Amino acid sequence: MTITGTRLDSLLGDLRAAVGRERLKTDPLELHVYGTDGGVARGEPLAVVLPETTEEVVAVVRAANRHDVPLIARGAGTGLAGGAVPVEPAVLVVLTRMNQIHEIDDASQTAWVGPGVINLDLSRVTQSAGLYFAPDPSSQAACTIGGNVATNAGGPHCLADGTTVAHILGVEMVTAAGEVVNLGGKAPDPPGLDLRGVVVGSEGTLGIVTKVLVRLLPEPPEVRTMLIAFATVEDAAATVSGTIAAGVVPAALEMMDRETTIAVENFVQAGLHTEAAALLLAEVQGAPAAVAAEEDLIARVAASNAAIEVRTAADDMERALFWKARKSAFGAVAQAAPDYYLHDTVVPRTRLVEVLKRVYEIGERYDLTMMNVFHAGDGNLHPLMAFDGSEPGVLERVRRAAEEIVEASIEAGGVLSGEHGIGLEKRDLMPLIFSPVDLDAQERLREAFDPERRLNPGKVLPAGSRCLDYGLMP
Amino acid sequence: MTDLAAEFADIAVDDAAIPLETVLAPRSEEEAAAVLAAAARSATAIVPWGGGSQQGLGARVDAAVAVLTRHLPNHVEWSPDDLTVVAGAGVKIADLERQLAGGGQSAVLSETPGSGTVGGAVATGLSGWRRYRYGPTRDRILEVRLVTGDGRIVRGGGRVVKNVSGYDLPRLVTGSLGSLGLITEVCFKLWPIGAEVRTVRVADPFAADALLYRPLAVIADRSGGWVFLAGTAADVEAAVDVLQGDARDGLVWPDDPDGDLAGIVRVPAGDVPDAVARIPDHFNYLAGVGVGEIRFGGPSDSGAVDLLRRYAEARGGSVVITRGGNGLDPWGTPPASLSLQARVKAAFDPRRVCNPGRLPGGL
Repeated sequence: MTITGTRLDSLLGDLRAAVGRERLKTDPLELHVYGTDGGVARGEPLAVVLPETTEEVVAVVRAANRHDVPLIARGAGTGLAGGAVPVEPAVLVVLTRMNQIHEIDDASQTAWVGPGVINLDLSRVTQSAGLYFAPDPSSQAACTIGGNVATNAGGPHCLADGTTVAHILGVEMVTAAGEVVNLGGKAPDPPGLDLRGVVVGSEGTLGIVTKVLVRLLPEPPEVRTMLIAFATVEDAAATVSGTIAAGVVPAALEMMDRETTIAVENFVQAGLHTEAAALLLAEVQGAPAAVAAEEDLIARVAASNAAIEVRTAADDMERALFWKARKSAFGAVAQAAPDYYLHDTVVPRTRLVEVLKRVYEIGERYDLTMMNVFHAGDGNLHPLMAFDGSEPGVLERVRRAAEEIVEASIEAGGVLSGEHGIGLEKRDLMPLIFSPVDLDAQERLREAFDPERRLNPGKVLPAGSRCLDYGLMP
Repeated sequence: MTDLAAEFADIAVDDAAIPLETVLAPRSEEEAAAVLAAAARSATAIVPWGGGSQQGLGARVDAAVAVLTRHLPNHVEWSPDDLTVVAGAGVKIADLERQLAGGGQSAVLSETPGSGTVGGAVATGLSGWRRYRYGPTRDRILEVRLVTGDGRIVRGGGRVVKNVSGYDLPRLVTGSLGSLGLITEVCFKLWPIGAEVRTVRVADPFAADALLYRPLAVIADRSGGWVFLAGTAADVEAAVDVLQGDARDGLVWPDDPDGDLAGIVRVPAGDVPDAVARIPDHFNYLAGVGVGEIRFGGPSDSGAVDLLRRYAEARGGSVVITRGGNGLDPWGTPPASLSLQARVKAAFDPRRVCNPGRLPGGL
């Protein structure tokens, strides 16, 4: 379906009425910028609107309904799965201007914020109250809370405190019909079905979130960050398992392989152990006595697994340096190769080593540089393939290697994605983990929210998911 | 006799404790699917039934058939190194927690589960006191299998601790009170219990809470409260020193308030000190400090419930009756998203046979 001529003019007229001339973008060059997210997929939006209020979002949804065009909600566009890419002519609803912090409730440790608030800015603002927002994706300096809600974003500190959904108490959302609904709330367990829990991670397919009620956590009195070097990946993985088996779930347990460490050391000069096969970044936080005991325990488990170096950050500056090393891994790789593809699968923690071996083997077979920097504590793998896109046939090799990694993860009892989402990237892989009946149930759920497929169509669920007819007509 | 009783006579059971005319106990997910498909065809309302401990929660359902999880293959597959466990819906919470405790782990379900089952824990969405430290039950449900109201066998989520593959059916099913289908199997995320556990009696639980960083649980009652500690020995000892209260080994959970009437007041966490001051003298209560959940019990008194409800709802909270609510409104004001909720229920239970009317708003 394309929209041209007077139909397009009429649509643009209504959108202009909804958000005003300055916040409707139609210039082809500007539209092109919004045609992609942090991933590889690309499309061309019909128009871009930048609403500033819930009422404006309602007006945009009503205009889209009148003209029968799809809408795609979008934050900062740092997603990697193509969730915000228009696969068919659609209007992009960019929510970055809805970036007010409406309320911070110190006593209940919550805040109402706009979807456009940048993840890191939220914690900066709540810092004075001794509170912070726990989910910390690597893109946290750019990504928005609304985007975090859409993808149920993760990050290193989700190991102990859970992904975004555990930190979203409620949302104000504009439905596909253009109605404003409030889901969830500040008090625990609101009566009725937990629609809030379903909206989080729904990649903008169930509604457009216009306000978010976040849970904040008290800043820990003490934090200790360790960087531990190992001669083998197996030793590092055994330290992860051994720590958890000893009854300690650290705040973060991140692993980085040697390829990545070398690239990162070139980039940030953190004095990383570049001879080690694997580096483990472990962080513990809490009361001083707890932190000291847990640090000691991790050091002992690491020693029993032949750690070749254990460094504990001496101060906040060194701690920040350790984290800079971890979080700039992807930037460092970008420096080493013109292009990269970053993957995201999850396997049971006990299958990490086995799956990692297969990942390296797949990389060798497709002649791709395979780097691994990932959330070891929760089995969330992020294999990264560095390549030069101008090399003929390389994209096909990357695509096939990526699919084999998914298959290896699923064979080990894993899933398609831990924190990036399904979007376009993994939509057609959904039948690998769900039966037709499972997918049909998900499609029915989506239809309950959006019968006209107005919101982000063509994402998450493969075409034809709604294929079952149970013949229950009276 | 109901039509379903005749059709499924081979799985009918006698259980005097279940006050419904027909009690069916399917032995497999497929049998359960056949029962629910037949219920949908004949538009016969059914009540999913686990241990029966929370059947007083929510509105009364007009149904003559209970479908039990008791005879489903109630296996337990525990992966201690992955901190996950898969359990059949009919497994008793107490049995599961006892087994996990043997390996130093917990599913962090209710500390006072009675005859409750894991399927019931998911269906009710109830959390224990330890949600203060570890979050609500719904945040630990990684995967669910359920038979929908029209007999489909649906799985959602996955057996890993982090997952964004598709819609979060586990969270939707949590707290759905059997209104979407019969839950048959659940995968939980587990937590280590901690090497050392203590219970400390304190005079002022709110002040005690302010002294500590995220303790396991803090409960207030009318004469003081308890602080529950878990962790490494050094950490727990340090906290006991700070509290200077009467410390006991182990976690000694108080019994839930008794009485003909029982319910839960839910308010934003910051309102708990104010809310407990409004609990009338003839009710006992236990309040989750830092959480916002206050369990109360006492003689039947609809006027007192109305007052509490008005207070809680004005703060975005609720009052839910969990026992003995004869003639009392079990939920209070229905949620604003009722029409959306009705469409979601219809997506799973198109003929409205699973616990019709149990949820708020007659859903």
